[in-house]
Parts: sequence; C-alpha cells; structure tokens
Amino acid sequence: MSAVDTPLPGTRPVLIRENRVAETAHLATQRLDVGYDGTTVVRSLDLELPPGRVTAIVGPNGCGKSTLLGALARVHAPQAGAVLLDGRELAALRPRDVARRIGLLPQQAEAPDGLTVRDLVRYGRHPHQGLLRQWTPDDAAAVHRALAAADLLELADRALDTLSGGQRQRAWIAMVVAQETEIVLLDEPTSALDLGHQLEVLDLVHDLAAAGRTVVLVLHDLSTACRHADHLVAMRDGLVVAEGAPAQVVSPQLVRDLYGVEAVVLTDPTAGTPVVCPVRRVREQ
Amino acid sequence: MLAASVLAALVLGVVAASLAIGTAQVPIARTLPAVLGAGEARDVLLVQRLRLPRVVAGLAVGAALGIAGVLLQTLARNRLATPDTVGLNDGATAFAVASVVAVPATVAPSAFALVGSATAAALALGLAGGADHRGYRFLVVGLGVGAALGAITQLMLARAPIDEANRAFPWTIGSLNARAPGAVTAVAICVVLALPVAVLLARQLRLLRLADPVVIGLGQRVSRIRLAVIALAVVTAGLAVATAGPLGLVALLAPEIARKASGPRVVPVMGSALAGALVVLLADLLGRTVAAPVELPAGIVTAIVGGPYLLWLLLTTRTRKMP
Repeated sequence: MSAVDTPLPGTRPVLIRENRVAETAHLATQRLDVGYDGTTVVRSLDLELPPGRVTAIVGPNGCGKSTLLGALARVHAPQAGAVLLDGRELAALRPRDVARRIGLLPQQAEAPDGLTVRDLVRYGRHPHQGLLRQWTPDDAAAVHRALAAADLLELADRALDTLSGGQRQRAWIAMVVAQETEIVLLDEPTSALDLGHQLEVLDLVHDLAAAGRTVVLVLHDLSTACRHADHLVAMRDGLVVAEGAPAQVVSPQLVRDLYGVEAVVLTDPTAGTPVVCPVRRVREQ
Repeated sequence: MLAASVLAALVLGVVAASLAIGTAQVPIARTLPAVLGAGEARDVLLVQRLRLPRVVAGLAVGAALGIAGVLLQTLARNRLATPDTVGLNDGATAFAVASVVAVPATVAPSAFALVGSATAAALALGLAGGADHRGYRFLVVGLGVGAALGAITQLMLARAPIDEANRAFPWTIGSLNARAPGAVTAVAICVVLALPVAVLLARQLRLLRLADPVVIGLGQRVSRIRLAVIALAVVTAGLAVATAGPLGLVALLAPEIARKASGPRVVPVMGSALAGALVVLLADLLGRTVAAPVELPAGIVTAIVGGPYLLWLLLTTRTRKMP
C-alpha cells in the first residue's frame, strides 16, 4: 500500500448552522484501485472532493459509482492506492473514528420488520457510543435534530414498513444525519422516488451542505445531478472521464461518451444548469 | 425488561413445580426450605439430592440453547439458523456416540460431545472460508457437515453391538436423565459467563440485523463481531449438548417466544435464555409425569410439543422476515 507522499491540506473552518459542523474533513483518493470478489472495478483513481459542497458521481450502470462510494466509506478495502481523510490513510484509522466523520447510506438498505423510524435513526449514534459511553442526552438531541431535519418528528414512532417509499428513504437519511459526520455519502438516495419525494430528499441534501457538510451523491439521472450538485464526477468503466462544475462539464459529447446516447443539452430556465434531452441511442464502440 | 420479568417468573414457577412433582410429591411450600436443607429428611432427599441437580441442569442447558439459537439466528438474519441446523448438534452427537461404541473403553461422552460440536463448527468455518458474507456460507456448509456427521452416527449405531448401541442411544435424543455432573457444572458456568457477554454485545447484535454496508458505515467491525457470535454459540450449544444430548427445537423455539414477548427493537438474549430454560424444564416435567412411571426423554417432548407450537407461531406472526 502506497504511503502518503504529500499530506493534503488539513481541515478548514466553515460556516456554522443549526446542525453545527465546526470544520469539515478533506476526503480524497490517491491512485486508488478498488473492487470486490477478486475483480477490480475502479482503476487508478485520483479524486478530491470539494469540502462543504455537494458532489454528484454519475455514469452508466456498472461504471463503478457505488463501488467508489463504498471505498470512500471503507466498505471496500483498496486493492492499491489509498483513500485519504485529511491526508491520512482511511484503512489505518479506527473504524469508529472514521464513522464519526464519514456517514454512508448504501443502496437498498433494508431494516428488520417492525422497527420504528426513531429506532432506525438511533442506530446513527452507534459510532458515538461505546462500552463505557452509553446513550446520553447528546445522542437524544442528535436524534431529535435529525428527525426534525428530515421532517419526520410526527412519524417517529411509526414502523418503517408502514411508511411510503419517500418517507422511508428520509428515515434512512435521517439515520445518517444523526451520525453528525462532516462527510455524508448517499448512494442513489432518490432512486424509485417520484418527483415530489425526490425534491424532498434533495432539499435535505442542500440543507446538509448549507450546514457545512461535504455531501457526495451517486445519482443515475444526469439532469438531477446538474441541478443539485456543485461538482460533477462522470465515470465510465471505472475511470473518471470528466470532472468539474456541471455547466462546464456536461456536453452532448459527454452524454454520448457516458451512455452511448445522442442528446441535446439545454439550460434550465430557472437554475441555469444543464438539462439533458436524450434523442436516440447510438451504436458505437 | 417487562417481557424478561414475565419469563423469569414463569421459569421460577416451573422450577418450583419440577421440584415438587414426581413419583413422590412434595408440597410446593416445602420445596424452598428443602432446597436450603431445612424440613423433613424425606423432602430434603427428594428435592435437594434428586431433583435439584436435574432442575439446575435443565435451567443451564435450556439457557445455553436459547442463547446459541438467538445468536445464530441474528448472525444469519434467518430464523432457521440454529445449533440443530448448522451441524453443531450433529457433531456433538456423533462424537458422543463414537466415544461409547467405537472406543474400546468408554471415556467421558460429554467431553467428546463438546469436542464434536467444536469440530463441526471448525469444519464448517474452515470449508466456508470464514464468516464473511453474513455467515451464509458458514450456515450452508454447516448444514452439509451436520448431515454427514448424522450419517456417521447412524452408521456407528447400526454396526455396534446391541448393548453398546443402547448405551449410546440417549446421546441421539436428548434427555436430562443421564447427565454427567461435571458437564452440568461446565454448562452452568458457561451460561453464567456467556450471558453477560451476549447482553453486552446487544447493541452490536442489533446492528448486525442491518445490511453489511450500513453496519460498516456505522463503524462496526463486522467480521470481528461475527466471529465472537459464532464462538459464543459454539461453546454454549456444545456444552448444552454435552450435558443433555441434542434437545431438538429448543434453540429454535426459545428465541421465537422471546421475540414475541419483547418486540422488534431488541435482540432478546436474556429473553431467549429464559425461554430456553422454560422450554427444557417444561419438557422434562411433562416427560416425567405424562406417562409415569415410564419416563419420556425431554428431547422427544420438545419435538412432539415444539413442532406444532412452532408451526402455530410461524403462521400467526405478522413478521415474515427475521427480526
């Protein structure tokens, strides 16, 4: 495993809001190879995630988006290279210390039947507890804040399996919010949600970023990513093919490279961000 | 808490009944003094010398099986994962039977049973390549190892002289009748040690019910906790079988009862231990009284009563998945 050659810049103070995050961590990858079950999905990746901003990772199915997100939260160990948190190798840190700074919502998270929203959100406090440090008023306050942020106070004692898809997704996000980490990683948080529920979730994402957190989203819809992210990372076949502000990065050529689709790129009349209108599939490569 | 208290009260009731009822009755009010050595000599003999050791064995064995069951079920997120199904019981039985019929001089079958369950677990773990992937591979391989060991047991019984096969037979059913005092002490000590450990692990166990990436994201070392759970389950189940033979269905029933009592929030370790003790003591009491003076082994009672009860539980419980 390669050592850390040049320590990256440390933490920087950011604005403090309701869910106060005093400073935010710097997350980056260095020549990272990652995969699972003997295959390498992401190759030689150098990436820096802008602190305090919303980054969206986009790309076709199987391009390594989720694997990358998993590597950033130490679900997958690097096969080569490293994930660096404030310049220190993630793999060398204690899992609980990492979990106090990086929160992850994986895809298709399932909960035991009968579990209530509050029970689930309480799980988010796990990294803050230990054998000697049991449940405290701080934990209760964090759970309350998370429930409030996700607008779930009234549903807190309902069983998850009695909620709508959007409500359930908000409950899962609330669990990650209760973790009160500087970095929040969300894997396809809006998939399978209708338009209104998608916006509900994305508003929550904006609130997190506004409170100084670094948010990284995996999204499958390019236009949604453009509209809601400050920074776009476009991946294909385990490699980053484009990176930057959405307006600068997204072009018909990029859409064609990523998805093999001919498209017209318009400008969103309200937000000024790119909107992708697919025209037809192109046979290629 | 409330659920555990109710179960504890029920266990106390069955303990008192088990001390009082038998071929010669002792009034319930006189059982407690007799346990402490006070009262008529006849009562003291019946209660303290004859029945108490059996009751203690039942308590410890039932609790151990309950703990092992709830741990394995949580590990696998599957209610069918118990010491019966992952080969621990088969391993213990095979080794105990071997010690009776295949070894020239009969050496402590209890010790062999413990070695057997540890061997079955080690085989399953080794062949499955550890406890990753939710321990699924461990469970499936354990099923196969258990089937193979079960076949070996049958083969040994079929080839052994009839007297030896008879002596080995209790090890294939499960009963509190033929128990070695040393084994009872061992399983009792094990329960006393394992129960607090499992209760302390309750928070991690709760977490294990979620998907692996979620658990890792919350900073929990998954393999470590999983190995700890398997180790606890192997030792508790192994010692239980070493004491009383493979009492069928107890490890399956006890967590069901405990879960029904405690709800979905927790992994009911304490409740399962209590429910396991309750089931074993009740089965033993029924076995001693129903067809008296003939005694039915507790293992047969748990199978006869437990099977339909389990079906009823499964058909009436709203939950479809694991806790």
